[in-house]
Amino acid sequence: MPETRTLDVGGKRIRVLSGGRGPDLLYLHSASADVAWLDLHERLAARFTVHLPAHPGFAESTGLEDVDEMLDLVLHYADLQDACGLRGSAVVGASFGGWIAAELAALYPERVGRLVLVDALGLWLDEHPVAEIFGTTPPELAQKMFYDQQHPIAALMHSFTTLSAVPEEIALPQMKVMEAVAKVGWNPYLHDPKLAARLRRVQAPTLVVWGRQDGITPLAYGERYRDLVPGARLLVLDRCGHLPPLEQPEELARAIGDFLA
Amino acid sequence: MQVFMFHLMPWAYLPESYEGPAWVTCSNRHYDGVRGGALYNRYLDELVRAEALGFDGVCVNEHHANAYGTMPSPNLIASILARETRRVKIAVVGNALPLYNPPVRVAEEFAMIDCISGGRLIAGLVVGGGPEYYSNGVNPAEARGRFAEAVDLIMRCWTEPGPFVHMGRYYKLRYVNPWPTPIQTPHPPIWIPGAGSLETMEYVARRRWSYMGIPYFHKRVFKRNFDFFREACAKEGYEARPEQMGWLVPVYVAPTDEQARREFEPHLWHFAHKLLPGINISPPGYTSPRSALKTMSAFGDFMLNVTTWEQIEDGAYAIVGSPATVRQKLAELAGWLGVGNLLVLLQLATLPADLTQRNQELFAREVMPHLRGVAAGAVAHGAPAS
Repeated sequence: MPETRTLDVGGKRIRVLSGGRGPDLLYLHSASADVAWLDLHERLAARFTVHLPAHPGFAESTGLEDVDEMLDLVLHYADLQDACGLRGSAVVGASFGGWIAAELAALYPERVGRLVLVDALGLWLDEHPVAEIFGTTPPELAQKMFYDQQHPIAALMHSFTTLSAVPEEIALPQMKVMEAVAKVGWNPYLHDPKLAARLRRVQAPTLVVWGRQDGITPLAYGERYRDLVPGARLLVLDRCGHLPPLEQPEELARAIGDFLA
Repeated sequence: MQVFMFHLMPWAYLPESYEGPAWVTCSNRHYDGVRGGALYNRYLDELVRAEALGFDGVCVNEHHANAYGTMPSPNLIASILARETRRVKIAVVGNALPLYNPPVRVAEEFAMIDCISGGRLIAGLVVGGGPEYYSNGVNPAEARGRFAEAVDLIMRCWTEPGPFVHMGRYYKLRYVNPWPTPIQTPHPPIWIPGAGSLETMEYVARRRWSYMGIPYFHKRVFKRNFDFFREACAKEGYEARPEQMGWLVPVYVAPTDEQARREFEPHLWHFAHKLLPGINISPPGYTSPRSALKTMSAFGDFMLNVTTWEQIEDGAYAIVGSPATVRQKLAELAGWLGVGNLLVLLQLATLPADLTQRNQELFAREVMPHLRGVAAGAVAHGAPAS
């Protein structure tokens, strides 16, 4: 089981879960359940010391009021790396967290030793618009997020046919999460127009992992990241949607482990 | 009691076969400029007629990308009314401040309307509905912050000689010096519409401005909100004046109760089933979680979820009937709610020109004179009006 700490990072109170043995791995979570310690993290912890901070505004972490744009989050993670001695560590990011990881590696190449991007947001392709996440019902969102509609989280989302059907103990934290994502991702919509041109700056050996059935950021985005990050490889996971940490934790852990080893 | 005629200027031609939201994604291929032009002119005639019929004022408001209300710029309509009327107050309820950058634009346009109308403007300031944030790109997580800063900036525009410097979190302006400034001093009356957001009511109470309850809720929701507003004023150390509260409600008067229902009901359901869907979309960060939960809990009392005429009558979602019926219900409810402003929607959805005109005339002749006598502020603390 991981250890839970609350760190002061530049005045923000940040919840960090950490556990495992081996080289450091900084995991930047998505806007979904991987803010908590899941099967994926347990598997990674067998080979790495995994650090799982909650972004400002997520879980128990505070400081969202000081986040207006992606650069604020990138600087926050530079501060967090310094606070935890993680400068130059491997960084794994999924979806929203993948976007942060890509920005960090592009703006501060020396801070990221190795980089794994999992169905990362951050880019925009006119021919494959990123799906709407702010104006949909939970069942519509589940359809786009999951390959397996029977996955427990997909099934839970399907049980909420209207927003008012969501119980308060789920609705409140989820509203906080969506606000935190909207603060940096409302407009431009879930991407940074400057990122594509900056990815040439990334020095870290990079693995891009994508769910073949991703309905939020389709596989074309994985191919785009592969093409833009110098030397990056792309691994496509079958029978998997936008969130490999939830749908294919075993495959994802193995791919990350083999790449970082 | 002051009585205002409110107009939404709805799109009257959404096909009965249309299913889906009337907001944000309702395709504008359903719009037609020729028909739209005729509607604008008809609706303007209806508002101008309100002056001749003796109303105290007229109200218009701002919505974008929807079939429910086709006034993306209420200021354009208000500026026409400023010329076409001589006496009535013109309430723009309101401008969605975060959608204007810089919001000095609102201070300028409102001042123009106030000057042209000879000081008849009521300035409505509003955060804007949830759908507007999808249609305009402004970040809803910044909505409350931008609104608060914009209000302060507009108040400075109207009360402090320019030029001055404004360096805020959202707006940075080296020279603020709007020409013109309003006729009314220190500034036009401020109305803030709200759907029950606690922050909004506390904010309006603190400023001693006026709070307009957004309609289509069960009467108990209005009651709860106005009670909360009165408490918020009491916490600020004063007793709320009835003129600080306004109740907006659809009204239809016909010679008999039976005729009124027969004529009005199809248009009411078109409104509830075709034009309201989508109005309730709530973007992230737009309200505090505290208010969002409260709004969600009131959602069962929202007209979208109403299916029977009995519910319409019981909840006072609309006041429909003969002059005697409407007179009695409005007087009773306005007294119970304790409001000093009654804002009536006399045209709704597809209600045609002839029925709207008769509704206006019957209301003005048979109902309105009796409401003037309703003791403003005669707040009943007893059981709700039946």
